[in-house]
Amino acid sequence: MQSLAVMVTTPPHSNLTATAIDYIEYALKKGIEVVGVFFYQDGVLNASSHLSLPNDEYQTIKQWQRLNKGYNLPLYLCVTAAEKRGLTDEISDEIDDQIGNNKQTNINDAFILSGLGELVELSNKADRVVQL
Amino acid sequence: MTNKNKSIAILNSTAPFSSADGKDALDIALIFGSYEQDTSLFFQGDGVWQLINTQTPNDISMKDYLKTFAALEFYDIEHVYVCAASLAQRALPNDFHIENVTILSANEFSNELRLRQIILRF
Repeated sequence: MQSLAVMVTTPPHSNLTATAIDYIEYALKKGIEVVGVFFYQDGVLNASSHLSLPNDEYQTIKQWQRLNKGYNLPLYLCVTAAEKRGLTDEISDEIDDQIGNNKQTNINDAFILSGLGELVELSNKADRVVQL
Repeated sequence: MTNKNKSIAILNSTAPFSSADGKDALDIALIFGSYEQDTSLFFQGDGVWQLINTQTPNDISMKDYLKTFAALEFYDIEHVYVCAASLAQRALPNDFHIENVTILSANEFSNELRLRQIILRF
């Protein structure tokens, strides 16, 4: 079976991201194993749980969630790129810290925080790497 | 799982300080290098500006990430290619801030690029 890794660098409101989603889904439907999607640069914004796109526009986040659940597709975020753009799983204030509250996150739970090392791993698992 | 080691080209096509592309590309190159992957850097179009010597990004409040290029050899990234036509179009001299830069004609450049199994473009 052929395998594919994909790097996404475009934000959720870009039609290039819709192209990436279509591309990945066609590959999956063709029986190609997609070992993972790595989100880099503005691509990490796809993982924001605060995202609210107008109802009559393409719902990028729902598509990622659908691919993640439907095909068991792993979605990895570059932590450095994410933190630069305000995405973190370590949100707390002083009171939270004092009373020992769990840290909050603003990252959608379909996505996994990881580092660039994950991109190296993915590229070694896949026959082909495509950047979109 | 089988390990499918690949050769990687990082293709730089944007100027250094108006976007973070150059820094993001360098970060990827260094990570692939530290994992001992066969990594090469390519500079084309406005990307050639990233190699030009004597830049003072501090003047525009930017961090001088170009300094980090000096670390490439420690990551065993030995192949750095620049497109001669791109330099000529911009009337830039072959005065680079790192050593061991190979200047290639557009044809040689594309032939060299074609040898890599992964191309990531920034």
